[in-house]
Amino acid sequence: MSWSVIAAKEFDDAVRSKLLWGLVTVVALVMGLTSLVPLLIPEFDGSVLLGLGAATEFAAMLVPIVSLVAAYLAIAGERESGSIRLLLGLKPTRGTVILGKFVGRSGVVVAGIGTGVLIAGLLAFLVYGELPVATFGLIVLLTAALGVSFVGIAIGISAATATRARAMTLGIAVYLGLALLWDLVPQGAHLVVLGEFPSSTVPAWYILVEGLSPSGAYSALVTAALSANNPAIPGAEALVGGAVPFYAQWWVFALVLAAWTTIPLVLGYLVFRRTDLN
Amino acid sequence: MVTVPAIQTTGLTKRYGHDVYAVSDLSLTVEEGEVFGFLGPNGAGKSTTIDMLMDFVRPTSGSATILGYDAQDEAEAIHQRVGILPDGYSLYHRLSGRKHIEFAISLKESDDDPDEILARVGLDAEAAARPAGTYSKGMSQRLALGMALVGTPDVLILDEPSSGLDPDGIRDIRTLARSHADAGGTVFFSSHILSQVEAVCDRVGILSRGRLVAVDTIDGLRESVGTGATITLAVDTQPVGVEFDDIDGITDVALDGSTVKATCTDPTSKVTLVDRVREGGSRILDIETREASLEDLFSAYTHPVDEPMVVEAER
Repeated sequence: MSWSVIAAKEFDDAVRSKLLWGLVTVVALVMGLTSLVPLLIPEFDGSVLLGLGAATEFAAMLVPIVSLVAAYLAIAGERESGSIRLLLGLKPTRGTVILGKFVGRSGVVVAGIGTGVLIAGLLAFLVYGELPVATFGLIVLLTAALGVSFVGIAIGISAATATRARAMTLGIAVYLGLALLWDLVPQGAHLVVLGEFPSSTVPAWYILVEGLSPSGAYSALVTAALSANNPAIPGAEALVGGAVPFYAQWWVFALVLAAWTTIPLVLGYLVFRRTDLN
Repeated sequence: MVTVPAIQTTGLTKRYGHDVYAVSDLSLTVEEGEVFGFLGPNGAGKSTTIDMLMDFVRPTSGSATILGYDAQDEAEAIHQRVGILPDGYSLYHRLSGRKHIEFAISLKESDDDPDEILARVGLDAEAAARPAGTYSKGMSQRLALGMALVGTPDVLILDEPSSGLDPDGIRDIRTLARSHADAGGTVFFSSHILSQVEAVCDRVGILSRGRLVAVDTIDGLRESVGTGATITLAVDTQPVGVEFDDIDGITDVALDGSTVKATCTDPTSKVTLVDRVREGGSRILDIETREASLEDLFSAYTHPVDEPMVVEAER
C-alpha cells in the first residue's frame, strides 16, 4: 500500500527533527511539573487526580503546538522545495499522499506526546505515591487524540497552501483561535446573552460552546474522565447544576474531536486535488 | 497490432491569467523506442509541458496521453510506467541516498536492487549512506535519476538533466538515455542546450515561447541548415566595379567598407569570391569561414530577428 510506505517515510523523516523532540521534552516537563502544582496550594487536598487535571490544562495548549509544528509543512514544504515532484512522480496519487502524511505525522506526534505524558505520569506517581491506571490511560489516549486532531488540521492547512509562509500564517491563526483564545467565545456569548460573565454554574449551552474547539473538547472529555473516577471532582452536572442535556454529554465532544480530525483533512484534499503544483 | 505513441499531446495549452500562454496549442507525437529531444530556451514552456504530462499542472485546454493513458484521468497508471527526473525538485535532506532509492522501490512496488540502481547512476556506498542534504548538485541529480530508473519505466522523462552535472555526468546521462532506448524504452529529453542532445536524440522538437516551431530528425535539421557556410573577408578598401550576383554558390553578399561577407553553399566558390574581390582593387587582410551549425538554426528558431542574438557560450 502506497500510503503506508509514505507514512513510514514520514515517520522516519520526522523523528529525526530535533525541533520536534525539543517540543516533546517541553511537553513532558511542563505536564510533569504542573501535575505537582496542587501540592503547593494548601487549600487543595493535593490528590493525584487534581494534579493530572492541572497537567491537562497545559496539554490543551501545548499539544496543538507540537502537532502544528510536526505537520504544517508536510505538504506545503514539499511544494515549496519541489520534493513533491519526486514524490508524485513516483506512484502515489495526491489523496494517497495526504493520507500517508496524516498517518505518518500522527504516528510521530502520538509517539512523542505519549512519551511526554508517560514521563509526566511517572513523575506524578513518584511524588503522590499513587496513579489511577485506568483514568491515566484514558488521559494518555485523549491527549494523543488531541494531538492527532491538530495533525489533521495542520495537514489540511498544508494541503491547501502553496508556500511555507502561508501555511505558517494559517497555522498560527488556527492555534490562536482554536487553542489559546477559544474560551473567550463561550464567555463572550455568556456576556451577550445573559448580561454577565459566567459564575459558579453555567447554562448547558455554555458547556457545548466551550467544547466546540479541539482543545475545548479535550478538556471536556478529561473532566468527564476525572469526575467519573472521583465524583468529588466537579463534572458537567456540577457546572450545569442539574441534569446534563444530550448535547453536552461526553460523546458529543468525542464527535467534535473526530470532526476536527477529518473535516480539515477532507477540505485540504479537495483544494489540493485540483491545484497546479508550480 | 496498433502501436500506441509513447507520448502524444493534442492542442495542449496552459494559460495563466488572461493572456499569458506558458504552452500554446502544442501537438506532438513521440514514438515508442525513440530518444526525443525537447529543446527551447529557459522559459519556453518545456517544464510546464512536462508538468502537464505528469498531472502536476492541469492544462487550460487540449489533452495529453502517455502510452495511451490520459494524463489527467489515468495519472496513476502513467506514474507507474514513467520515470521522471523533474526540474526544480529537491530531495529529503534528512534521509540518506539509499533510503531515497528504497522509498522509490517501495512506492513503485518494484523488485529492483537498490545497490544496483545506485551503481548505475554512479553513487558509491559511502555516498549512499549519507543524508541527501549533504549532497552536491551533481550527486543530487544522480540520486534523482536513480529514483527515476526504479521499476524499469517504459518512458523516461528527463527535464534539464544536465544542470549541475560535470562533463562526466552529462556523458553518463547520455549513455543511460541511449541504452534505455536501445532496450525498447522511450526517452523524453528536455534541454536548453542543443549540443547536449544532438548526439543522442533521434528527433528533436524546438519550443519557443510556448509554441512548437520545429520537429525533425537531427539529419533533417542539418539539411534545412544546408551546407551553407559564412565567409568573411577583411579588406583594406571596399571593392569597386565588380558584381557578385553571377557567382554560383555565393549568395547574400554584404559590403560595409572593411569587410565582405557572404553565404557560401558550394565550397569551391570561395576562391571565385576571393578573386572577384581582388579584381575590385581590394587587398585581402584576412579570410574567415564558419560552417553553419545546428546551433545557428536553433538560435534562429528561438530568437526572433528583432531581438539581439545571444551566442551560446556553452559547449
